[in-house]
Amino acid sequence: MKVLVVASHPVPDSYGASLRATVVDTLRASGHEVLVRDLDAQDFDPVMSLDERRAHLGPAADKVQLLEYAQELADCDVLVLVYPTWWGGQPARLKGWIDRVWINEIAWALPEGSNRLVGRLRRIRRIIVVTTHGSPKWINMIQGEPGKRVITRSLRLMCSPWTRVTWLAAYGLDRADENARRRFSARVENRMRGLRSLRRS
Amino acid sequence: MRALVILAHPDADSFCSAAAQRAISALEAAGHEVDVVDLYAIGYQPAMTEAERRGYEGLTPVVDPVVASHVELVKRSEIIVFVYPTWWSGLPAILKGWMDRTLVPGVAFILDPATNRVRPGLTQVRHLVGISTYGSPWAYVRIVNDNGRRTIARTLRLATRFRARITWLPHYSTDTSSATERAAFLDRITTTLGALR
Repeated sequence: MKVLVVASHPVPDSYGASLRATVVDTLRASGHEVLVRDLDAQDFDPVMSLDERRAHLGPAADKVQLLEYAQELADCDVLVLVYPTWWGGQPARLKGWIDRVWINEIAWALPEGSNRLVGRLRRIRRIIVVTTHGSPKWINMIQGEPGKRVITRSLRLMCSPWTRVTWLAAYGLDRADENARRRFSARVENRMRGLRSLRRS
Repeated sequence: MRALVILAHPDADSFCSAAAQRAISALEAAGHEVDVVDLYAIGYQPAMTEAERRGYEGLTPVVDPVVASHVELVKRSEIIVFVYPTWWSGLPAILKGWMDRTLVPGVAFILDPATNRVRPGLTQVRHLVGISTYGSPWAYVRIVNDNGRRTIARTLRLATRFRARITWLPHYSTDTSSATERAAFLDRITTTLGALR
């Protein structure tokens, strides 16, 4: 299957970066075609510019600087996001990738006179999220899990009705030891190895 | 009271920017001292850098002078007003990055190195205000969950030890709203922010 991995962590030798490596290596070893976007290493600019904002409802072909990113999103069967959860959600770098790359005509369409987006990413059948939290799960529950819902709701609605989300989260890392990190890495590796070809309907 | 208004819209001529102007004049008219951070106008860079993240682990997360100046503003503010367009049910990256970089250990929360426990750090904040424009109608925002609102009204409110009052001013269906509806919304900002005590 074609897998797009979009990852963000500012520190190249961090635990978050090691999770990305685990994901990519395991998927490649199972024979999947994996494309990696390491947003921080590539210094992806997360800020939607005034020109992009003005062209928001315009044709995708005009957004030359984003076309490659958008096309690889439309062409994958599985989207994997790997990031640390900060303030309940995606780091700015990754949120900016969502803001800028999920563009009109490729990710969605807005019919004339409507204010409801219609999803266009019919090929994506699975979204997998690998994320780390400094705080325990109950704190995240009180916060209302905003980062999780951006993905399981807002983004998933742009995909197929059959798109499933697999959520792999490590909680309480501020107070966790090496063992907890190793266990989570093993869990991520296991789930990646278990990713089977999805039957296309 | 001292107020901090943070604006995160790329277009100075947008409805959202007009809402920010209303908020500023309403707060000033009510006698508050207002500081404004217009993130797009100052060309803010929202991605946390490697040096900042490494500093975060060592509890010295403030490296950049721009961030340091924002930390000073946050520490003295009793009212914090966020004005932003809701994108993908959340905060625009430039605003999320402002939180990531400014609201760090020693500012928004105190991380006790002995126990690794977190204590709230924004206990002087009495009001958290959100003014947001949503392209989608109310019902759709309910379905996808208003994640930007939750980030401010819950996640950030935790850092005030749940003491801050939340004032939320949403403008739904901005993609299709009429001039009358927009004018009414701006008037609502004037009334509501003028009445903050």
